[in-house]
Amino acid sequence: MATVPAYVIAYEASVLSTATTSVIPWAADALVFLGILVTTIGVYGVARLPDTYARLHAASKMVFLGVMPLLLASALTGGREVIPRVILIAFFLLVTTPVSAHMIGRAAYLRGEKMHAPEGVDESGSGLGGASPDS
Amino acid sequence: MHELVFYGSAAWMTVLLLVGMVGLIRFSSTVARILALDMLTLILVALLVLYGQAQRIPYFLDAALVLALLAFVGTLAAARYYGERKIF
Repeated sequence: MATVPAYVIAYEASVLSTATTSVIPWAADALVFLGILVTTIGVYGVARLPDTYARLHAASKMVFLGVMPLLLASALTGGREVIPRVILIAFFLLVTTPVSAHMIGRAAYLRGEKMHAPEGVDESGSGLGGASPDS
Repeated sequence: MHELVFYGSAAWMTVLLLVGMVGLIRFSSTVARILALDMLTLILVALLVLYGQAQRIPYFLDAALVLALLAFVGTLAAARYYGERKIF
């Protein structure tokens, strides 16, 4: 069988490299836009929601889901020294964000913060719920 | 990542930092302020990741990791002290 000429191999390699170099920055752009969008929604939620218990939802989810696409974009465009750091940051965020959200909610509960939303229901029986008519 | 996207997203993240700072000042309850401080630090982590990606310097990710862990410890200490008046 005939061997593949060298210029064909070089041509294919150049096509492959231009394909990857043209796709990866756009994918990183899309991921950065996604992260910015989720972070914006989270900050808007923290600014607008009525009480601490409702703000916790926006803050804790926003942090994880908003920083993750940015880290993923960084891992896409980065090299060998970026990817372990990205994995480390993602792991620690994944571990620490629920714990800090839990501690903030616990502090609010222990200090007896009332819910300001009218539909808020306190199922623990401490009377922290909102101004619902049957409570 | 293209340069224009980096400048736009960094400017927008700075606007979000300002919004978080206004919330930190204006929230009425202390727990909400602790929450806003936590959120501010994590926006800062995202900004560091963006900057390290745009400048292709991996050491910004080290700073982001340290900042995330310090924010965790700080939030934990502040919330625990506010909740039950002791840390340990």
